[in-house]
Amino acid sequence: MKRIVKMVLAANLLAIALLAFVYPQQMVGPGKLVAGHQKLEADCFACHAPFIGASSARCVTCHKPADVGRLTTAGQPIAKPLTAVPFHQKLISQDCVACHSDHAGVKRFRQQGRFDHALLQEEAAGQCQECHKSPADSLHQQISGNCGQCHNRQKWVPATFAHNRYFALDRNHDTRCVTCHVRNDYKRYSCYGCHEHSPASIRREHIEEGISRFDNCVECHRGADKHDIRGGRGEGTGRRENERSRKKHDD
Amino acid sequence: MTTSLWRRHVLPFTLLAGLLAAATLAGDYLLHRLALVWVGRYLGIPGTLLIIGSLIYSLRKRKYIAAGSPKSLLALHEFAAWLGSLMVLIHAGIHFNAILPWLATVAMGVNVISGMVGKLLLDRSRLHVQGQRERFQLRGLSKSEVEQAVFWDAVTFDAMTQWRKVHIPIFIVFAALALGHIISILLFWGWA
Repeated sequence: MKRIVKMVLAANLLAIALLAFVYPQQMVGPGKLVAGHQKLEADCFACHAPFIGASSARCVTCHKPADVGRLTTAGQPIAKPLTAVPFHQKLISQDCVACHSDHAGVKRFRQQGRFDHALLQEEAAGQCQECHKSPADSLHQQISGNCGQCHNRQKWVPATFAHNRYFALDRNHDTRCVTCHVRNDYKRYSCYGCHEHSPASIRREHIEEGISRFDNCVECHRGADKHDIRGGRGEGTGRRENERSRKKHDD
Repeated sequence: MTTSLWRRHVLPFTLLAGLLAAATLAGDYLLHRLALVWVGRYLGIPGTLLIIGSLIYSLRKRKYIAAGSPKSLLALHEFAAWLGSLMVLIHAGIHFNAILPWLATVAMGVNVISGMVGKLLLDRSRLHVQGQRERFQLRGLSKSEVEQAVFWDAVTFDAMTQWRKVHIPIFIVFAALALGHIISILLFWGWA
C-alpha cells in the first residue's frame, strides 16, 4: 500500500475517532435519548458504568426511589403523573433498566407500556384497585376486590373464569353476583339468597328423594333445571347420566 | 466487445452481488415478520467471527502461516466472508441508529464488492481480453487495429483492476470502524 494511502487512511480514522468522543450520541449512541434525558446526550457515563452498562445505582442519584411518580428530580410535584398511583416504592427490587430504556434504538426491542406485575411486592400485587379502576360494566360494578379469582397478572383478558362450568346463569338465575356470593366472596356461594330457595324447602325436597347430602348444590345441579343432575363431579350430561348420578347421590 | 464482456462477466457478478442484497432484504423481512428482530441484533457476532475466520487465507497468502491448501483456503475465504457479510448486513439492517456502525457497514459493503470483483471478474476478464486479442491477430489485424477492437474491454478491465486495489485499504478501514463499534458496545452494553 502506498505511503500516501496509508496516511489518508490513518487521518480519516483518527478524525472518526475524535468525532466519536466529541459527538458520542450521534456516532455510537443507539438512537435519541428520551426527552427528559437529552441534556445528558454528551455524557454517556452519567448513566452507563464502563463495561457494565446502564446502572440503576446511577439512576437513583437523580431519581430518588421514594419520590418516583410523586416528585420531579427537582423536588417539585409531578403535574401530570403517568400512573394514577405511585407504585415504584412497592417494587421487589430497584432495577430501573429492567423496565426502562432511554435510547430510541433500544426501545424498539422492548415492549413499551407493559408492566410486569411479578415485580410488585406480594402484598401490593394483591391490591389491584390501588392502581386499577374497576371496569364500568354491570358485572364489575357489583364486585369489589378479589380480581385474581378471574384475572391473572399477565393479561386482563381473557379472564380465566367461565361461570357456566360451575353453574349456568340462565334466565332463572339472571341476578346480581352478591345474591349467591355474599360479600363478593367468590370462593363461596349460597343458594339460599333468593326467595325461591330456602334451607327448609331444599331439605324437604331432598329428604323426600332420599338424599341426605345436599350441602353443596352445584356438585349435582349446574343450572335451573332441577332434574338435570350432572353427577358428583359434573362429568355426565343427559338423562341417562342423571339416573346414574341420582343413584350415586342417593347413596 | 464491451457488451460481450458485460454480458459474460460483469452481469454474473452483478447477479451474485444482487443475491447478497436480496438475501439481506429477505432475512431482514423474515426476522421482522416472525417477530425475531432480536435475533438480528446478535447476528453481528457470528458474522464478525466468520469474517475474522476468513482471514486465514490472507495470512496463508502472505506466508504468515504455512499450513493449508491456498485453493481451499481461498474458497473458505470467499464463502465465510460472503456469509459473514450477509449476517452483518442483516444485523445492520435491523435498525440503524449511530453513524459509526453505518460507516463500518458501508466499508464492509465496498470490501465485499471489491472482493467479488477479484473473485469473479479479474481472471476471467483478463483471459477474455487476451482471447479477443489473439482472435483478432489470427484474423490478420494489425496491432493498432487489435488494440482499437479491444479498447472498451481493456478499459473495463483496467477499471476493475483499480477497483481490486481497494480491497486491502478498505478492509483496514472496515476493521477499524468495526472495532470502534465493538468497543463501544463492550463499553456501554448492559452486561450486569
